[in-house]
Amino acid sequence: MKELFPAKQVIGFAFSLLLTVIALAVYFLDMPFAVGMTILLVTAFVQAGVQLKVFMHAGETEDKAAIYTNVYYGLIIALVTIFGTLLAMVWDM
Amino acid sequence: MEFFERFAVPHPSPAIYASMVAIGLVMIALVVGLTYFKKWGYLWREWLTTVDHKRIGIMYLISALIMLFRGGVDAIMMRAQLSAPENTLLDSQHYNEIFTTHGIVMIMFMAMPFIFALMNIVIPLQIGARDVAFPRLNALSFWLFFMGAMLFNISFVIGGSPDAGWTSYFPLAGNEFSTSVGTNYYMIALQISGIGSLMTGINMITTVLRMRAPGMTLMKMPMFTWSSFIANVIIVFAFPVLTVALAMGTMDRLFGTQFFTMENGGMDMLWANLFWVWGHPEVYILILPAFGIYSEVISTFSRRNLYGYKSMVASMVVISLMSFLVWAHHFFTMGQGALTNSIFSITTMAIAVPTGVKIFNWLLTMWKGKIEFTTPMLYAVLFIPLFTLGGVTGVMLAMSAADYQYHNTMFLVAHFHNVIIPGVVFAMLAGLTYYWPKLFGFMLNEKIGKWTAWLLSIGFLLAFMPMYITGLDGQARRMYTYSEATGFGPLNMVSFVGSGIMAIGFALIVYNIYYSTRYASRDISSDPWDARTLEWATHNPVPEYNFAVLPEVKSSEALWDAKKKGHVLFKGKYEEIHMPNNSGAPFLMSVIFFIWGFALIFSLWIPAIIATLGIFAFMTHRSFEQDHGHHISVKEIEETETKMRGAK
Amino acid sequence: MKIDHSLPLEYSTDQNKLNILGFWIFIGAEIMLFATLFASYFTLVDRTGSGPSGAEIFEITPVLIETLLLLTSSFTIGLGVHAMRLGRVKAMLTFFSVTLILGLAFLGVEIYEFVHYVHVGAGIQTSAFTSILLTTLGTHGAHVTLGLFWGLYIILQVKKRGLTPQTANKSFIFSLYWHFLDVVWIFIFSFIYLKGMM
Repeated sequence: MKELFPAKQVIGFAFSLLLTVIALAVYFLDMPFAVGMTILLVTAFVQAGVQLKVFMHAGETEDKAAIYTNVYYGLIIALVTIFGTLLAMVWDM
Repeated sequence: MEFFERFAVPHPSPAIYASMVAIGLVMIALVVGLTYFKKWGYLWREWLTTVDHKRIGIMYLISALIMLFRGGVDAIMMRAQLSAPENTLLDSQHYNEIFTTHGIVMIMFMAMPFIFALMNIVIPLQIGARDVAFPRLNALSFWLFFMGAMLFNISFVIGGSPDAGWTSYFPLAGNEFSTSVGTNYYMIALQISGIGSLMTGINMITTVLRMRAPGMTLMKMPMFTWSSFIANVIIVFAFPVLTVALAMGTMDRLFGTQFFTMENGGMDMLWANLFWVWGHPEVYILILPAFGIYSEVISTFSRRNLYGYKSMVASMVVISLMSFLVWAHHFFTMGQGALTNSIFSITTMAIAVPTGVKIFNWLLTMWKGKIEFTTPMLYAVLFIPLFTLGGVTGVMLAMSAADYQYHNTMFLVAHFHNVIIPGVVFAMLAGLTYYWPKLFGFMLNEKIGKWTAWLLSIGFLLAFMPMYITGLDGQARRMYTYSEATGFGPLNMVSFVGSGIMAIGFALIVYNIYYSTRYASRDISSDPWDARTLEWATHNPVPEYNFAVLPEVKSSEALWDAKKKGHVLFKGKYEEIHMPNNSGAPFLMSVIFFIWGFALIFSLWIPAIIATLGIFAFMTHRSFEQDHGHHISVKEIEETETKMRGAK
Repeated sequence: MKIDHSLPLEYSTDQNKLNILGFWIFIGAEIMLFATLFASYFTLVDRTGSGPSGAEIFEITPVLIETLLLLTSSFTIGLGVHAMRLGRVKAMLTFFSVTLILGLAFLGVEIYEFVHYVHVGAGIQTSAFTSILLTTLGTHGAHVTLGLFWGLYIILQVKKRGLTPQTANKSFIFSLYWHFLDVVWIFIFSFIYLKGMM
C-alpha cells in the first residue's frame, strides 16, 4: 500500500493545499490591494510550478529542454498578451 | 417556403446568379466526369483517405492555386470598379463583400495553404524522415482547412457574403449593422480552418524536434526547415487567440453575449485588439517560410553556402518573440494614449532589424557567387528590392504620430501588398517552380516561368505604386468610389492596368503547368537543380517511403557535401519500413464539421447538435481504434528502387 | 514495433515519445487559449453595465469545494500514473476512477454555481462582465467534461487491453491534460474569484 503513495507526490499535494490556504488569506484578512495581488501572484505561480514539476513529470525525458522552452515561451507570450491588452484597452485608454 | 428564404442572397446581382449556375455546372461536371471515367474509387483510395505528407501537400497546393484565382477575380473587380471616378460597375454593398472576401481568401485560403503545401512536401524530406509525426492528424488538418474554405466560398451564393472587411471590426460586424449571415460565415469558416492550422503547427513542431535524421542537430537543419519551424511555433501560440476571438464574436452574433457590443459594458475595441494579437504574428507565419524558400533558392543558384546561417536562425528566433510585441500598431488611431503608441512604435521599428539582417545575408550569399538565373532565382532576385520597398514603408507606418496621416488610406493597402506579394507570393511561386520536379518528376518550362516572373513584377509595380501616392493624397481604402475632383482617376487607372498584367502573369502559371505536363522531358535526374539539401537525395517523384535507407547527416548541406566532399549519406541496407495506414476518418469528420458550421451559420440548432454529436462520435471512435500501420517489405523496396533508378 | 524496455511503458516506442511531446506543445497552445480568455476577462471585469459585479455574485463555499475537488483529483491522477509505472493495474484503475468521480463532482458544483448566477440575474447575456465570466468558466468546464469522457474511454481500454505501450501512453497523456486543467483552475481561483472578492 505504501508504495502507492510516493512521498514526493504526497508532499506536493500537502504543499499545494498549503498554498491554497495562504491564497485564501486575501479573502479572510483585510489587506491593501497590492499586497493581496502579490500573494495571489506568488501562490498561483508556485502552485503551477509544483504541478508541472511534481505531477506532470516535465523534466524526466530527453525532451526536457523542448518541454520547458515550450512552457516558458507560452508563459512569456501569455503575459505579454495579457498586460499588453490591459495597457492598450484599460490603463492607457 | 419561409424556411428556405434564409438561404437567399440578400443583395443578388446578375454576377451572383451567373456564379450559381457556374458552380452548379462544375459540380455536375465533376460528378459526371468521375462516374464516367470510373474514378470515384481512385479518388477515395489515393486522395481522400491519404495520410501521405506529399499527397496532402499536393492537395494544399491545388486548393491554394484555385483560391488564388478566386481571390484574384475579386481583386480585378475591385480595381475595375475604382479605375474611373463615379464608376457604377459594382454597387457599394457588392464592393464591401468583395474586399472582405478578397482579404480572407488571399490570407487564409491562399497564402496559408500555400505555405502548408511547401511545408508538407519539403520538411519531412529535408530532415530525412518518412512522414510527419502525426500523419492522420495531418490529413485532418488539411480537410478542416478545405472544408473551412469551401464553407466560406459558398457564402456568396447561399445567404450572402461577409461584408465587414477581412478584419471584421465590431460594432460593424455585430448583428445591428451586419444583419445577413455573412459575418457568421466569416466567424465559423475561419474557426474550422483555424483549428486545422493549429494542428498543423503542433504536428510540424513535433516532427522537426523528434524526427530528424541521425546527425542532423538543430543547427544543421536546412534553412527552410528552420524558418518553417519558427513559423509553426508562432502558429501554435497565435492561433488560439484567433480561436477565442472568433468564438466570442460568434457568441455575440448567435447567442446574444455582450463582448463586443455597444451596450451593457461591451467593448468593440477588444475585438480589434484580439484580432491583431493573432493578426500580426500571422504576418510572420506567412513571411518566415517564404524567407526559408528564398534562402534555399539563393544559396542553390549562387552555388554558395548560405551566408550567416547562425544570424539567420537568431534573427528568426528574435522575430518569433517580437512578432507578439507589436500588434497595437494596427490601431494607433483608436484612442489609447501616447505611452502605448510609443511602446508599440518602438517595438515595430525594432522588428525591422532582424528582417534587415536577413536581407544582407542573402545579398552576401550572392556576392562572389556564381549566380544562375533560373526562374526561382529570378523571383528571389526580384523579391529583394521590391520587398525592401515594402519594408521601408512599413517603418514609415510604424511611426505612430505619422500614422494618423496614413491610417486607413491606400498607402497602407500599398504597403501590405508590397510585402505580401513580393514577399510571400513570389516565394511560393519560386517554391512551386523549384519543387515541382520533386513532386511530379518533370520541370516547369523556364521560358514561360521567367515571363511570369517579369509580368508579375511589372504588373505589381503598376498596380501598387500609384496607391502610395493616392494614399498620401488621402484616398481612403474600402471606399467603393470617389469623385472626379479628387484627381485619383488616372492613377487608379494605372493600378487597374497593373492588375490586368498581373492577371496575365497568373494565367501563365496555369498555362505553364499545362504546357510542361504535355511537353516537358521526364528524363531528369533526382537532382535537376544541382541542389544542396537532403530533399534532393531521393528520387523524383518521391516514393511513398521517401528514403529507402534513412540518411545520416554531417552538415546543413548534406547533399552538397555528399557530392563534393564524399560524405556517405546512406549507410546500411534495406530494412522493412513501417508506414501509417490510410483512413477515411479525417475526411468524413471534416464533412461533419462542414455541416456543423453550416447549421450554426443559419442557426439551425437541431442539425447543429446532431453534427456536434457526430464530431464526438468520431473522436470516440478514434480513441478506441487500434491502428498499427503497415510494413513495406524489403522485396517491395528493392522493386521500387530498381524501377525508379531504371527510369533515369 | 520497437519497444525500449529501459524506459517507462508510456515512453517505450518512438510514436509514444512523439505523442507526449506533441501533447506538451498542445498544452502550449492551451496556455495561450486561456491567456486570451484571461486578457479579455481583465479587460471586461469592471464593465458590468446594468448587471452585477463579481463581488456581488461570487460565493466562497462552492468555489472552495471546487478547488479542493480539483486539487485532490490532480493528486489522485498523479498517483494513478505512479501505480501504472509500478505495473499495478488495479490500483491505477482505482485512482483513475476516483479522479473521474472527483471531476464529476466538480462539474456538479460548477453547474450549481452557474444556475445560481443565472438565478441572481447574471446570465451570459447580461453584461460584458458576465459574458466573459461564464465563457471563461465554461471553457474550463467544457475541458473537464471532455476529460471525463476521455478518461472513461481510457479506463475501459486499460481494462480490456491491459497495460500496453499504447494504453500506458494514452493514460499518461490524459494525466498531463488533467493536471493542466488543475493549473488553469488555480489561476481562475486566484484571479477571478479571490481577486474579485478581495
